[in-house]
Order: sequence, then C-alpha cells, then structure tokens
Amino acid sequence: MMSLFVLPAARRLSAACVLPLLLSAAPVFAADLRHGEDVFAQECAECHSVREGKNKKGPSLFAVAGRRAATVSDFAYSDAMRQAGIVWTPAALDAYLANPRKAVPGGKMKYDGLADTHDREDLIAYLAGLK
Amino acid sequence: MMNQSNSRRATGRRARRRTALLLASSAALCGGMQSAHAVPSFARQTGQDCAACHVGAYGPQLTPYGMKFKIGGYTDTDGKDGKLPLSAMVLAAFTRTAKDQADPPADHTHRNDNLTLDEASIFLAGRLSDKIGAFVQATYDGVEQRSSLDHADIRLAHTLDLGGKEAVFGISVNNNPGVQDPFNTLPTWGFPYVGPAVGFGGGDAATLFNGGLEHRVLGASAYAFLDNSLYAEVGTYRSLSPAVQSRTGQGRDEDIGRLGGGTAYWRLAWLQDWKKQNFSAGLFGFNANVQPDRVGGAPSNKYHDLGVDASYQFLGTREHVGTLYTSYIRERQTRNDLIANGEADNRKGTLNEFRINASYYYRQTWGVSAGRFATRGNRDAALYGDGYANGSPDSSGTVLQADWTPWGKEDSWAAPWANLRLGLQYTMFDKFNGARRNYDGNGRDAKDNNTLFLFAWTSF
Repeated sequence: MMSLFVLPAARRLSAACVLPLLLSAAPVFAADLRHGEDVFAQECAECHSVREGKNKKGPSLFAVAGRRAATVSDFAYSDAMRQAGIVWTPAALDAYLANPRKAVPGGKMKYDGLADTHDREDLIAYLAGLK
Repeated sequence: MMNQSNSRRATGRRARRRTALLLASSAALCGGMQSAHAVPSFARQTGQDCAACHVGAYGPQLTPYGMKFKIGGYTDTDGKDGKLPLSAMVLAAFTRTAKDQADPPADHTHRNDNLTLDEASIFLAGRLSDKIGAFVQATYDGVEQRSSLDHADIRLAHTLDLGGKEAVFGISVNNNPGVQDPFNTLPTWGFPYVGPAVGFGGGDAATLFNGGLEHRVLGASAYAFLDNSLYAEVGTYRSLSPAVQSRTGQGRDEDIGRLGGGTAYWRLAWLQDWKKQNFSAGLFGFNANVQPDRVGGAPSNKYHDLGVDASYQFLGTREHVGTLYTSYIRERQTRNDLIANGEADNRKGTLNEFRINASYYYRQTWGVSAGRFATRGNRDAALYGDGYANGSPDSSGTVLQADWTPWGKEDSWAAPWANLRLGLQYTMFDKFNGARRNYDGNGRDAKDNNTLFLFAWTSF
C-alpha cells in the first residue's frame, strides 16, 4: 500500500534528482515527505491530528490511507460523509483535497481545497506513512 | 501628575464625567484597559488546540481560524454534546516604575514595587445553541477590590452558501465598541494584550473609541463576512443608566453621561488568507454625542473617530510565526459641554493615535513583541491642564515584551484545561502628557514612568 502513495511524488523527480536517487532513495523520499509534513502543518493541522485516537475539529488522520471514510470512532461525521461510501485511496484523497465540497457535497469540512498538484502529492505521501 | 490614583480621586462628579472621556486612558491604560482574555472553553468545545485560534497558543491574538470562529458566533463545535461553556482566568503581576509614583496608584498598594492580583475572571464563553454563542466575562479586580461585568459579546450567526461561496451573517450585542471586532488592530484587542494595572501603559489622553465607553454602554451591530474575505459591520450604542452601571459593578460616579441617538459604529475590512500567511486591511468609524449631565437641552461633546488598520501574519508550519499590526485613529472633538463649563478653551480639537507592533513566536511557545505608540492632539490649556505640560495631550513610547507559553498545543500537558503564559513587559516613554521632562510641573519626567511588568497569566 505504501508504494501506491509514494509513486505520485516519485513521478516528478527531476533529472537532478536521479543521481541521489541512485545513490540512496531515502534522501529524495524523505524530502518529499518532509514537504508533505509541512503542507500538513500549514493546511491541515489546525483541525486534524496525526495521533491515533486524537480527534479535533476533524477526525484523526492516523492510518487514513486505505481506510473507509467515516469510520473513526468517537467522531461526529456529517451525514454526507457517512453516506459517501469513500475509501481513502490516493485518487480519492486527491479528489477530496482538491475540492472537498465537490467531492462530498454537504460535508462539514470548511476547507476550500489544495490547488497545487505537487502539494497534494506530497501530502498524500505523508499521510500514507502515518501508520 | 494625572495618574490612576489621582484620576480615581478627582473631586467633583460633574467634572469627572466631562473629562472622563477625554482622559479615558487615565483609568484605562494605567488601569488595565487591555483586559486579558484566553478562554479554554472554546478549545474544549471545538476539540482544537489553543494554538489553532491564537498566535502563541494563548489569547487574544487571533489567527484566521480564530477570527472565523468569532465571526461564526462562537458556535463551531466538534459535534459532541456535554461541553460546558465556562472558563476562568487569573492574572497576577509584579509592577515596578522607574521612579516611585507620587501617591499609591490605588488603595492597598504602594508607591512602587507592587505585587497584585490584577484580574480573576469567570467566563460564559461558547456555544449556547446552533446559532447563538457568547463571550461574557465577569471580573474581580484585585487592585480596585471590586467585581464587575467585563467584556460581553453575545452573537447570533448564520452561514449561507451564496453561489458556492460561504457567507456569514450575524448580530452582536455587546458592551464595548470594538469588542466584537475579529482583528487585533483596534484598541480593544490590540497590543499589548495585557498591561500594568498599577503602572503606566500610555499617556492619560485617549480617543473615545479607545476604551472611553467600555462596559458603560450597550450596543447592537449587524455584520457580514463574505467568501472568508470581506467583513462589513454597522451598529449603534446606548449608554447604560447609572443604576444599571451600578448593578454591573462599574460604579455610578464614573458615569460617562448619556449617548445621543446618533451613535454609530461601522467597520469595513478585507482579509486575504493563504493559510501560510494572511493580511488584512480595513477602515472603521465611531461617532457619538455625549451629554455628561444627562439633562435634556444641556450641551454635549461630539466625537467623530475615523480609523485605518492593517495586519500581516506569517504562520507557515507554525514553527516560526510572525505578525505585524498597525492602526491609526483620528478623532475630531466638538466640546460644547466642556466649553460651557470652562473645562476647555477650544470648541474644536483633534486627537490622533498611532500604533504599530510586531511579534515573533517560536514553536508557539517562546515569544517576543515590540510596539510603538503615539498620541498627538491639539493643545488646550484648560482641557489638558493639571498633570500635563504645555496644554498638550501628546504621549509616545515603546513597549517590549518577552513571554513563555508552555502549554496550549496538541501534545501539551493537561490540554485543553491547563493554560499559562509568563511574561516580562517593559514600557518606555519618550513623552508623557505633553513633555519629555517635568510634564507635571513637579519634576517628574516621562522616563520616570517607564514600567516593568512581570506577569503570570493562567486560564482553565
């Protein structure tokens, strides 16, 4: 499952990154994850925690990758999210992060969306590592 | 000198009423006008950390998230029931002035080196229903040794979807013009967010909008916040009767008088929120006609306050946070009552206030702030007589602060119940009540009022 989330970030490696990738994949991968973590801190952390069982205004995002939507215990989801039938695959996360209101009409997340594709990729990669 | 003690003890109720507005800061800036606020019940209601709504993980400096929570009527919630909208707060301080004050600033205090319980407050703060929320504070003032109704702001807010854009419409009923404002640029919520009750935080002269009416009026305003950007508000105020002021703990003797029917407050601002950073720019105005004697046909004093403000916040990943705020208020006064009673020489006059301040917080824990303030006005030997030099209301200075806020973050101990800020603040004066030197005629210089303020501020 992890590889599914790493791929989007890896796809945009530039030529300058190839050598370090050959020498060691870890630095490049970590850099993207670090950016994803920063994106999370800037865009998401006000309302979401990455700690298991820590719900804030939004549910905990610990182990969100591959999880069925609206299944975190002790969190009051909107009816729209409960009925959305979403599984948080990379594609589903990408669509939701790009435009939450369009992806889940009637949902209660007050977020306009993350427009930058690379930011979404790195964020999704970071979320995939939360296990 | 016209210090807090002297202003409190000024003889003659009529004279006090007339001059109280023009000398608002004698009780306000020296008497804790920057009333402190941090309300953990909001954090418990929303499930958020204090740091989500507040720069430095402690009130009242709001992030855009906090601004929107306030605009939304304090009603946002994590969806769980059983949250009590109650909080409490205590502020204690040690205050030292560069030179002993002429008299103790209040009963039970010393001329210098005072250890005081400045405020002990309880709050009704939070969601009362789906669309109604409140921020109501009752405070025991340990310096004055009395309790009173402090800031009160009760709101009704409704959110709509207008063509795919969010629009919030609301009504605020409150007791202090500006207390309902979501930005930290206006005087009510401006830097410094806490100040010395028994030292000096500014000169004695202040605009009416800068605390001149606080807690002695009741007003209502309607506001709209469109697409998370455009904020517009308009409202009006009425003065509370002396009897009501007495019942709410404000005291009859310092009644401001009666506000005329045309009292108006308006506000227009733009907020641009990019999450990593944001800025705002705005205009505001306050017009009031104050009749100190509350007698029909008696002369009144007119105040026309017009202000401009702007702010910038860099939030980034919240590890390094920087803010910059500024405001300018220009007040035009028409002093018919003061002239009629020989308490002013000039019927017309102006008073202008400028503020600019910046802060930096590391990991929402360690903070440093610096601010400049300047009050300038037309000279008037009668109005700015005792305690002033040259008939001038001018004061200016610098405020520096360093503080430590150990809790209020996601992983903090006892979150969201335990909240604490320890701070060291130093206010330096270039000019005080019209002069750099000997402003009071008794040899006291502006720098003699430099005030060291060491505070411990906790809420739960």
